[in-house]
Parts: sequence; C-alpha cells; structure tokens
Amino acid sequence: MNINLAIAERARAGQLLTAAELDELWASDVLSLGMLAEEVRRTRFGSDVTYTRVVETGNPSGAVGTGVELRIGALPASLDEAAGVVVAARRLAGTQLLTGFSLADIIDRHWADLNEVLRRLQRAGLNAIAEAPVDRIADIAALKAAHDAGVPVRCLSLQRPVDGTRTGYVMTVRSLVQALPSLQTVAPLPREQSVAVPTTGYDDVKSVALARLGLPMVKNIQVDWTQYGPKLAQVALTFGANDLDRVSTIDDESLGRRRTAIEDVRRNIAAAGFIPVESIPS
Amino acid sequence: MIDLEAIETRILHGGRLDAGEALELYRIAPTYWLGRMADAVRARKHPDGLVTYIIDRNVNYTNVCVARCNFCAFYREVGHRDGYVLGFEEIFRKIEETRALGGVQLLLQGGHNPDLPLQWYEDLFRAIKQKFPDFKLHALSPPEVIHISRTSTLSPPEVIRRLVDAGLDSIPGGGAEILVDRVRKLLNCCNKATADEWLGVMRHAHQAGLRTTATMMYGTVETDEERLEHMLRLRALQDETGGFTAFITWSFQPDHTELGAAHGISEASGIEYLRTLAIARLVLDNFDNLQASWVTQGGKLGQLSLAFGANDMGSVMIEENVVRAAGASYCMDEVEIVRNVEDAGFVAKRRNMHYDVLGDPFFREHDVARMLELSTAREAGDTSVPAELMHYPARSAAGKKQRARPPASPMA
Ligand code: SF4
Repeated sequence: MNINLAIAERARAGQLLTAAELDELWASDVLSLGMLAEEVRRTRFGSDVTYTRVVETGNPSGAVGTGVELRIGALPASLDEAAGVVVAARRLAGTQLLTGFSLADIIDRHWADLNEVLRRLQRAGLNAIAEAPVDRIADIAALKAAHDAGVPVRCLSLQRPVDGTRTGYVMTVRSLVQALPSLQTVAPLPREQSVAVPTTGYDDVKSVALARLGLPMVKNIQVDWTQYGPKLAQVALTFGANDLDRVSTIDDESLGRRRTAIEDVRRNIAAAGFIPVESIPS
Repeated sequence: MIDLEAIETRILHGGRLDAGEALELYRIAPTYWLGRMADAVRARKHPDGLVTYIIDRNVNYTNVCVARCNFCAFYREVGHRDGYVLGFEEIFRKIEETRALGGVQLLLQGGHNPDLPLQWYEDLFRAIKQKFPDFKLHALSPPEVIHISRTSTLSPPEVIRRLVDAGLDSIPGGGAEILVDRVRKLLNCCNKATADEWLGVMRHAHQAGLRTTATMMYGTVETDEERLEHMLRLRALQDETGGFTAFITWSFQPDHTELGAAHGISEASGIEYLRTLAIARLVLDNFDNLQASWVTQGGKLGQLSLAFGANDMGSVMIEENVVRAAGASYCMDEVEIVRNVEDAGFVAKRRNMHYDVLGDPFFREHDVARMLELSTAREAGDTSVPAELMHYPARSAAGKKQRARPPASPMA
C-alpha cells in the first residue's frame, strides 16, 4: 500500500489527523486512499448506505408520498415571497419534511436580522435549511442561529470546485462540527461544475475519501445522486461515502425502461457491496 | 477458496491466470485488489507512465442495417425514412475537419446496408487515399466484412485483400459483443457473425499483416463465465497471431433498444465496469493496451479506469452516433483528455492505431477550438441521398426504387 502507515493507523483509530497528514493522504495514490477510507467507514459506521427520496418544488410531477422530503431550491427575492413559497410548499408537503434554501443565499440577501429571518421561515412551515456551503458561509454563529430557530442546517456542502488538496475544506468543516455536533452530514463534492472543465473522477473520489478520513466525528459523507450520476456516486461509496441525496421519486419510463429510480439506486448500492437503507426524513 | 497471495505473486511475476481462477477472481476478489493488480500489470507493461490517445473521427457511413441486433438503438431498417448513407464529399469534409484538429485516421463503421456493394467501399477508400494519402482507414468490423463477403459472394480473406488494395489500414474490433454463440443468438447477432466467424476474420486480417483491436460489450444476457470465455478466446487468438493492438470493453447501453425495453435490463454499474476492466487486464496478459471507454462510462469513470488497468484514453472521437442513440452523451475533447490524464499523474501522448507515439498534445502547439459536444453523422432531418450512390446497383426493393429516381439533392 502506497500510503503513510502511521497516518493510516491514526485514521483507523478515529484520531484527528492534522492538516499536514491530510495533505500527505491527498498525495497518496488513489486506490490506497480509497481502500483506507472504505476500511475506516466499514469499521466505524458499518455497511449501510442510506438514500433520501427528494421532490423538488418546481417539479410538480413528483409525488410527495410517505418518506419523501420536499425541498425548495431557489431562494426568492424577498423575505415575504420566500415565506409565501414555504407556506405553499407546506401545503403540498402535508406532514412530510420540508427543507429548502442555502444558508449562504439567505445571509447574502441581508433581509433583516438573521435570527428573525430564520424564525419567520420556520413559522411559515420550513423544517430545515437544506444546506450551508462552507466555502461561502463558515460562520458558526449563523449555523447555531438556524439550529436555535428550529430550522437546522441539514448538510455542510461545498459550492464551488477547489483546486488541489481538500484539506482546507475538511478542516473548516471539522471546526464547525466540533462547535455544533448535531451537524452530521457533509457533502464534499461541489454543487457547481464547469461544463468545460468539470472536476475529475480522481478529484471527486479523493475528496470523498479525505472527508471520511478527516472527519471521524461525522457519520454521513453524502453524494448527490442526481448531480453526480449513478456511476460516480456508486464508486464514491467505495471511497467512504455512505449517504446518497436527491434520489428522484419520478420513474423514468420515457426510454422504454421498466426500472424505477429507487430500483436503480438500490441495485447500485448492493452491487457496490453495501446494504441499501431508505432514510426516512424527519 | 482462492489463494489471493499466491495469485498476486504469480501475476506480479508475469504468470498466467487459468479460466477457473479468472472467474473466481472476477466474482469474489475485492475491487481494490483487482484494481491494484491491474494497475501493477499496467505499470509493468508501460513503465514510462505514458497514457496515450488518438485523434480520430468515429464516422458511421450508414445506419441502414439488415442485422437487427436487439441491443442496437442506432440502426434503421431498409427503406426507413431516417436511413442514410453518407456521400463521399461529406466524408471528405469530415476528414478535413478531423485533420484540422490534428486527426490522423477515420474509424469507419456502419450498418449492414444491402445496397452498398463492395465496389462502393473500394471506390470510397481509393478516393480517400487519393485525396489524403497519409490519412489512415481503421475500418469495417468483422461482421461488416462478413456482410460484404455475402453480398459480393467473395470469401472474407478475398474481401480483406480487395479492401487493403483499396486503402484499408486496419480493422476495428467492433461487433464482437460476447464471443459465445448462445449469447449471440439471444442478441440476434449470431447471423451477422458467429463467434468463430468473428475470430476467423480477425485471424485472416492478422495473417494479411493488418493489426486490429478487440472489443467486448457486456451487461446483456451473458453470464460471468461467458464474459471470461470471451476474453479467453481473444487471448488464445492473440497467442496465435499477436495481431491485436488493444482491448476495449463497455457496458450495454439499454436506452431505446429492443433488448432494454423487452427485458428491462439496466446498464451495468460503474463498479462492474472497473472490475471488468481490471480482470481483462489480468486475463489478457498478451494484450499491451487497454482503452478506457469514457464514451459509455463518462469522463470521470474514464479517468478512474487509469487506476484499474487502462493505459489509453481511446479516441477523441469528434463524432459519435451509436452510443448516443442508446442514451449516453459524454464528450471529451483533446484538452479534456489530456487534463484528465495529467491530473491522474500520467504523461499524455498522441498515438496512431499501432500505438506508436506521435507526439505531445496537438492543442498545445496549435490553435484549436474547444469541443464540448460530439458531432453527429448528419444534421437532424438531413435525408439527402448522395449523387454517387446512383452509380451503384442496389439489392433491396427500396434501394432499387430510390436509385431509379434522380437524386433529391445532388452532391457533386
Ligand atoms: S449493432 Fe451494427 S450490425 Fe447490429 S443492428 Fe446495429 S448497426 Fe446493425
């Protein structure tokens, strides 16, 4: 194995690796890094892979049935409109989990005092803020405000691609989780991709592995099934990811296929050697 | 239970896997073990850390086909309004565009069109070679050679000889699917070529001094044993002739295919692809080169293939029609291929079909526009019939009728 064995030992023991150690892991060969991340993930968190079925507002054909999360994507221009969108979505969601928005977008709007904004959204019916991309918002006070307002952030994500090692990202996430341990889901792959210069396969799987190894206190390393596609998402499971987000509730029958999105995701999880477990959003 | 350590030692010393071992490894060896072994063999065969690619264009000269393989979303039946045959001028234009991007060859394959006689192919090849003497023709997979042999009533070796005289340089390994007749019958592709016929054409080609590639399409109705049998049959022929330059495998692309619809077959997963690639690297110990199939697996898995035994990124393609028809639409231009190769820690070099290194990336020395989408054979809705087709006798009733009419849009 082409990897620093002392660092590997510390990772196996769930110890906090230093930035220098993470840099060294990043420079290891991709298979050694993946193998270590998979081993650590299996011993510490088992072989389950959870997945969440999500209906996005603006896509009304998705059925908001039991066990499905309804998620609002784009943030409207004003707080009144945002609250209105939440109220309408709540009607659609019934008693199901309703999430939405990026905490960074909310903060960028400077609508009013953040605590008030968040409480207003909560009163309108929002259960949680969908994500906080830590390259845009790494402010623990804001994350705590969301938590205290009853709309906790569900996922620490990354907005834009990063060049080189992901050590900086992992260290930032770590400090946030240490301050607010209820943050238990991290999505290390960027939400934005350049069409001309997308992140590479190596980039993606190494980012997943580094997040798994650098964040021993985090349970879920998440990959977006819809954005990254079945192939990369499945391979990411063997590099330490254990949670798949945004599984569609819509069955694509347009191509003459007889399969459903759920079947696809379960089959891919099982074929990677893991146990598929539907995560019931609450 | 298989002794992985003993096998590891054997593989690292260049030893051969037998059929039983290969099957057991494919089924139960951890994916990372397969990857590490395949990577070690790749590194032994290519110690210079080079990863190669070719700039060529993947041209499908016709989509009219009588074979009707049930896994194919590309073909159109004889007389179908979307059926096309490219004109010589269209093909010349494609070659010119390819050369401007640094391209050195056409990968020319198409349907089994009953209305294209051997003479059409000979004339096309001669015309290409006359206009572009250095340009290479990697053309006509074994089932196409067999189809031409049937329509011309010449033997496959004779067809190959005539095509070589006209300018054929090498034969692509398409149409192999799975080289087991049980599978070929179920895929309705046994008539186009049995496993023995496919291998026979390759044997003749190698004996005639041509180099060829070999392919495998998995993920339809075959068993694991049959995938391995396919590889072992290729290995045996390679022992005999040494004529294969490379092996390329990809998963069945089910969208819009009869097989995908009728059997509800989903595409094989990414991990299955990486495992299949890795076991191929271990079984095909007499093949120097393994290509990554980014066109079916996407750029990301294409790049990860380099850690699972591949040493070549295949072609920049420029154009693609067959896989696109079945649902996949990935694109990697030269810039993107080179970026991925270098990002994975390798040195990227351009090559020809024989895997001779031609040089450094073309775009670094020439002004080349980025290409973010692959072209198609023709613009949608272009049903023009090339003028020169009228000079060749058609065999089908529809073809005869069409050629009795003056061409709709003459192409000089
Ligand atoms: S795979 Fe080739 S031979 Fe078979 S139907 Fe398609 S075009 Fe014809």
